[in-house]
Amino acid sequence: MQTKLLQEHAQMLLDTAQVECVIGYSLSPRGLTRPMFIYRGEDVEQLVWNQHSSHNLAKYLREKIVDLGDTGKVAVVLKPCDTKSLNVLVAEHKIDRLRVHVIGMACSGVVKDNNQERLQDRCVECEMKQPLVYDYLIAAEHTPEVSPGEFDQDSWQTEFEDYSSEQKAEFWLAHFDRCLRCYACRQVCPVCDCPTCLFERDDSLWVGPGSSIQEKRMFHLGRAYHLAGRCTGCNECERVCPVNIPISKINQKLAQVIEGEFGFRAGIEAVPSPLLTVVSGKEYGG
Amino acid sequence: MNYIRQEDLHNWLADIGEEYRLTAPVEKDGVILYEPIQSLDEIVWDFEKPVNSIKEIFFPQTEILMELQISGNGSDEIKEVIPTEKNILLNVRPCDAHGLNCLDAMFLDDSPPDVYYAARRQNSVVMGLSCSHMGESCFCTSVGGSPGDTVGMDVMLSKYEEGFLVELLTPIGEALFSDLPVTEQVIEVESPFEKGLFPVPNEEILKKSFDSELWGMQAERCISCRICAYVCPTCRCFDIRDEVVGGSNGTKQANRIRCWDSCASEAYRRIAGGHNPRASKIERLRNRVLCKLYYYPQQYGMLSCVGCGRCIDACPVGMDITEIMSVLVEGPA
Amino acid sequence: MFEPKIIAFLCTWCSYTGADLAGTSRKSSPWNIRAIRTPCSGRVSPEIIIKAFDEGADGVIVLGCHIGECHYDSGNHRTAKRIPVLKSLMELVGLEPERIRLDWVSASEGDKFSKVVTEFNETIQALGPAKWLTKGVGVDVPVLDETKVLQREG
Repeated sequence: MQTKLLQEHAQMLLDTAQVECVIGYSLSPRGLTRPMFIYRGEDVEQLVWNQHSSHNLAKYLREKIVDLGDTGKVAVVLKPCDTKSLNVLVAEHKIDRLRVHVIGMACSGVVKDNNQERLQDRCVECEMKQPLVYDYLIAAEHTPEVSPGEFDQDSWQTEFEDYSSEQKAEFWLAHFDRCLRCYACRQVCPVCDCPTCLFERDDSLWVGPGSSIQEKRMFHLGRAYHLAGRCTGCNECERVCPVNIPISKINQKLAQVIEGEFGFRAGIEAVPSPLLTVVSGKEYGG
Repeated sequence: MNYIRQEDLHNWLADIGEEYRLTAPVEKDGVILYEPIQSLDEIVWDFEKPVNSIKEIFFPQTEILMELQISGNGSDEIKEVIPTEKNILLNVRPCDAHGLNCLDAMFLDDSPPDVYYAARRQNSVVMGLSCSHMGESCFCTSVGGSPGDTVGMDVMLSKYEEGFLVELLTPIGEALFSDLPVTEQVIEVESPFEKGLFPVPNEEILKKSFDSELWGMQAERCISCRICAYVCPTCRCFDIRDEVVGGSNGTKQANRIRCWDSCASEAYRRIAGGHNPRASKIERLRNRVLCKLYYYPQQYGMLSCVGCGRCIDACPVGMDITEIMSVLVEGPA
Repeated sequence: MFEPKIIAFLCTWCSYTGADLAGTSRKSSPWNIRAIRTPCSGRVSPEIIIKAFDEGADGVIVLGCHIGECHYDSGNHRTAKRIPVLKSLMELVGLEPERIRLDWVSASEGDKFSKVVTEFNETIQALGPAKWLTKGVGVDVPVLDETKVLQREG
């Protein structure tokens, strides 16, 4: 039902030229759900919405809007967690909100890996079933096919808190050792979008391109810090990692610290991270 | 045919591990990777294909090519770092060995040969494990390979009952493995089930496709990470940097390192002055596919895609080279 | 006695001048503090601090102007918010948070400068060398055991 409503709405938007492109999900020839760009009304049947729609499509917005020139709107299908990323991008003036038509989807969770019948960890503890911002809302009509299952984020944290400093260091180094520096985590992240990444400079200023564990650790820590107060916890970085590094644990920890210190959660409102503002909470000059 | 039981192979490997560094598929945190092993118990015998390929052994993610002492007064010292370790690679899939063959064409057979790759290659022995079935994303048969192919291997093992059938294929393989405790057996070997073929575009089609719209349609979802190139058994683009690691009294110590790079990344083709001939994803995808299916065959006489399907498995957004090939040959669906 | 390598980031307008004052007033400070002058404490980005540890530092102290007195108006606001977040991040990855310290020293507080860096030096001496590096940078810098790390199961 949600798929049908989505297709109808997309068709209307394209036929009436309200938008030039609809970014959504479709099925690949192998049956995988993946991002899709629709430009014509007759193609909307390719759009799907299912429990494999994990990608954060807010990632494509910035590039698409630039592609469309000075006017031209783009519609995008966003889950509740993805709308948080949109808020962050709007707050940082990276996207003009007026050029995006948000098709908000009420969501009951996406599954972990394409084969398993279990929701992703971030979905198990998610309380946000409705999108925060939308221009058109497509509500859920029935309970999900896949049940949440059990996940206890706190138990991992409590156990980890008891580790000594040296054990913590070794835990993370063992994970970073497998890192390939493929940068998939960075590329899939909607808020990670510097024109030249600080950790990929041609002059190797902060870290070289090599794969010693120390360099990989610097990349991950530096990136996590740059996302503090901006990461909305979509956990796509962890999903795309080819070697299963638990990247989202670092981002979650920093999100907790930001909430504790500043009472701020990224993406709930279109307000920039407290690390970007002065102590009174306003932007400089505001 | 020669047959060896698993325990006998295990014991034999324990002996040879003294002299050689053994690399085999191991499991780490739910991921299967080719890595040097610390103990034989780590070896995984039942798997489809590891996430990475064996090219890392011969062409590492990062390697030091030279150590430099730069004094600036004309007496600079350069010391080449030629690798000397001896490797045995175990449980190598046919697609990976085929990939090694491709890399040989560029690193070894071309002139001048790459001394670092050559040193590792001549000190290494490849022990293959044939596939009993083709995986979901595998398409080796479409590009000239097969689940039982022996190209690039020195020894080939095939699972049979409680052990393996053994074929010694090269003089190196024979020299090293001649004392394997095998027995002669008369066996009926079943060929592994092979899937249908994907169409592979030929030169004509690829040349004509250069300005086609389909590249744009396929490239839009790409996020320009480099997973596809890094897990690929044949992708071989690299970057070379000089990195200062220390020094005192006016002398700088630096290492010249070589590390992986990929044409899929945005900055890859950017040149001094800032111009980037492959600034858009469309151009980068087109280059990547043409390199594998057109440019490499022109230069070296073989495709540089071995049909392992790792790129399909690893891509975060579902890019699929078999889909691109089908669309090129048959037109859009 | 273990002599830590401590990097001190001092802002030009306040804490660096304060450090100078400590010197000219003959206030005693530990000799092993390596001072790096920045235009403002807000210039000290997290990468610089992590890099200091990657290069062998045992402790990093950042000294800036008091809130409300920054030469660039709000540079120190950023530092005030940034350093606690960085400390939590480093703690998660195995560096004791006491190895990073932020304090405010104005140009006229030579006494305070001397007191703060002496305290910090003692803290680091008590903690011992930082177990952060994975490859040796100097002769007697402890490194985490890489082979042990590689053998661990995930």
